[in-house]
This record gives sequence, structure tokens and C-alpha cells, in this order.
Amino acid sequence: MKVFTKSRKAFFAGLASLALLCVVWKGASLLMGASIILPSPEETAREALRLMCGGGFWRSLASTLLRGLAGFALSFALGLSVGFPAGRYPLCEAFVRPYLTVIRSTPVMALILIAIVWFPTEAVPVFAAVLMAFPVITQNVASGVRAADPALLEMARVYRVGKKRLLLWLYFPSLAPFLASGVSSGLGLAWRVVVAAEVLSQPLWGIGAGMQEAKMRLETPRVFAWTAAALLVGWASDFGLRRLSPRIGGRGGP
Amino acid sequence: MSEPAILVQNLRKGFGDFTLFDDFSFSCGGGRTSVLLGPSGCGKTTLLNLLAGLAAADSGRLLLHGLPAGAGRVSYLFQQPRLLPWLTVEKNLDFVLPPRIPRRERQALIQGQLARVSLEDAAGKYPRELSGGMAQRAAMARAFLFESETLLMDEAFQGLDLPLKFSLIAAFQKLAGALPKTTLFVTHDIREALLVGDDIFVLSRPPARVVLSMANPVPREGRSPGCAEFPRLEKELLAAL
Repeated sequence: MKVFTKSRKAFFAGLASLALLCVVWKGASLLMGASIILPSPEETAREALRLMCGGGFWRSLASTLLRGLAGFALSFALGLSVGFPAGRYPLCEAFVRPYLTVIRSTPVMALILIAIVWFPTEAVPVFAAVLMAFPVITQNVASGVRAADPALLEMARVYRVGKKRLLLWLYFPSLAPFLASGVSSGLGLAWRVVVAAEVLSQPLWGIGAGMQEAKMRLETPRVFAWTAAALLVGWASDFGLRRLSPRIGGRGGP
Repeated sequence: MSEPAILVQNLRKGFGDFTLFDDFSFSCGGGRTSVLLGPSGCGKTTLLNLLAGLAAADSGRLLLHGLPAGAGRVSYLFQQPRLLPWLTVEKNLDFVLPPRIPRRERQALIQGQLARVSLEDAAGKYPRELSGGMAQRAAMARAFLFESETLLMDEAFQGLDLPLKFSLIAAFQKLAGALPKTTLFVTHDIREALLVGDDIFVLSRPPARVVLSMANPVPREGRSPGCAEFPRLEKELLAAL
């Protein structure tokens, strides 16, 4: 009962915060007095509705979703296969570290511009998402592997537990909380970078492409509506992950 | 004369300037429970780790049933149960079984082992749902389930209250009777040594030496906390410590 009340309170607190944001937004738009600079919330909502009723919106949304998921899946697989040995062997980590530092320090825009030169338009957002999420996943996996309880590893060594079982029964549960956190931040990054790459690379369908098109036509309410769609994608993935995380990381760590 | 089951010859092991073992030799017979009794910090756990292959000696020869330490299969009952917290008791036992054993057979093996330590009802429980004594019993069942000739026990009954300690020792005796292994048990508790050990070896402070070897005159079945001979034996062991 107490938990229910707490969660209800949290829900209303979130709602109140959202309402405050709308009030501030409305006030600011009134102050500006020009929807080309700052459209009002209701104007944005109207535009979003119009966008949703149009043919291209859902296709753009699906394209962005697919690109984000593809990029993230690739970086997840890469991060897992690099992060694991990096966490296990210090020499391997020392070898990988410069690459991670370079990727992390390179401005996103530079990566996207290079990708535009190298890849076809459709692949640019995927490449950018892979590069952005890869260091985050790798780092989290490496930390998770390092956090595996040495006492349990010693026990497994004495009992000659095979590599496959060691990986599935000891390492994966140990790194699950780290993996959950890596997935959450990696996926959040992937959405943002996919939209940014779409803005610059202009694929046929995509939230970013729609945003850029609206900006070129000076349709600021439409830019805001596309932004709301991008936020929705990020929120939905975050929500999905939160529902999943107790299953992957909530069985108790070492 | 046949080779002893556990043989340590001219062992040297130190940490920096601190010498734990210097030309240390020791041996014990197969199928028996030998106890190394010594003060804290005398190198008992290090010796077990060396025999288990978890640590390397600076020099010397360590053999378990004719194989160099680390080459053969040993069971190890640690001070802490070291159960995987995200696995049930049943799965924790399964963890040490070779995957080639068919599912039905491994389940029968695990159930049999759990019954021996009175944990058959706890098979589906997670370690966090077990008391300290139950968790150590599960670890003991795991140690005996693992196919090996040697069992190393590191102060496995430490930190438990007396009734629990005695019930665990009884569980150990039951398992050791059903599935005999050459057991080397280290402790600093004289009463534990007398209850568990067929042979007792008293170690000195570092660099460690065996200062007393004693065959327990009380047979396994006669050993109980109230055994009449224990006070005399305790005095003898205490004098050597």
C-alpha cells in the first residue's frame, strides 16, 4: 500500500514538473510573440497531430527506430566482445584504451561528416550510433567483468568449471547490472546521434531528415513537433529498458 | 611403504621479507582426515591454497595423490560458503558438475547430496534465503559432489555457534563416511581438531614447523563434544601450540 502511494506521488510529481514546463514554455512564447522563434505548446501539439496524420511520419519514425536499434545492436555485440577481454586482461585493456579515448574525444559532428564521405546516406546514422555507443558499452562490460567476485572466481577455478559455464553462470550475472547501465546510456546516446546524423546526411526517411526539412522551410512548430517525436522514441526505449532491467540485472549481483 | 596421499617436501614460501615456510615438510595418509592445528597467521590457509594450485610455492615439492599441486582435482571448503548468489542451492551444486553428465543423472546426484546434509527442502532456495549454517552445509555438499580424491577445508566451521558447529561436523562425518576423501582440515580450534581429525598436526609460528603429530586415539564414532578423553588431549595440544 505504501509502495503504491509512493509511486502515485512520484507520478504526480512528474506530472506537476511537466505542467510547470508547459507554463514556462507558454509564457516564453507569449513573451517572444513570434512562432518562428518559439512556437507555443498548443501550436506544437497541433503541428504534431498534423504530422502524425500525414503519410511520412510513421515511416520516418520507423526508419529512425530501425537505424538506432541496428547501430545499438552492432555496438552492443562489439562492446561485449571487446569489453570482456579488456576487463579480464589488463594488457588487453591497455591496448583498447587509446581507441576508446579517441572515439570518445572526437566531436560527434566530425564523426558524422567523415561518415558522410565514407558511407551511403542510409548507413551514416548507423555508423555514428555504433561509434558513439561502443565505448560506453565496452567500458561498462569491462567494469562488470572486473567487478566479478574474486572469491567466486577462485572457487570456480578450484572446481575446474568450464569456460562456457564460467561465462554464462558467473561472469554474465556479475556484469548484468553494469550491462543494464551501459545499455541505458548507450541507447540514449544512439538515439541522439542517429537523429543528428539524419539531420546532416538527409536520408529519404527519418526524424532528423524531417527536422532539417522543416528548418529549411522555417517551419519552427514542425521542428518542435519532430523534436517531440525524437523525445518520444528516447522515452519509449528508456521505459522499455526499465521494464526489462529487473530481469537482466535484478537477480542480485555478487 | 606407499607414497602418502598428501606430500609436502622442502616447501619455501614467503611474502617479501616475511618467510612463512622455510624447508617445511609434511605428509598425511589417504582416506583419512588430517588436521593442521596452528595459531592464526602461521600459514595454514596459504598451505591449502598452495595445495589447491591457487598460489605458487617459491620452491619445494607438493603432491596430491602423486600429482603436483594444481594438476589434480581437489575439493575445497572455504571459510565462507562462496555460493553464487544468483543461483539456487541446486544450481550451485550443479555448477561444479561436468556438463557431460545427463540431466536426470545430475539431478539425482544433487538430490542425494542435499539429502545427506538435510537440505533437500532448500534445493530451490537462493543463498540469501539460507542461514549461515545452511549455506555452509550447501558448500559442503558441493565439495563432496565434486569428483576428487582430496578435500581441503579452511576453518570451515569458524564463526558458528556451538550447536550449529556440532551439527555441521556431524554432517561432515556423514558425508566423509559415505564418500571418503583424503581430507586436510586447517583450524586454530583445538576442540574442532579433536572432533574432526583422525590425525592432528600442530604447527608452530612462522616459519612453520610441525611441532607435534598425534593420531586421534578416539575413533570417529566415539567423538562427541562431551568425550571423556578430550580434556586430556586438549591439554596436550594446547601445550604444543
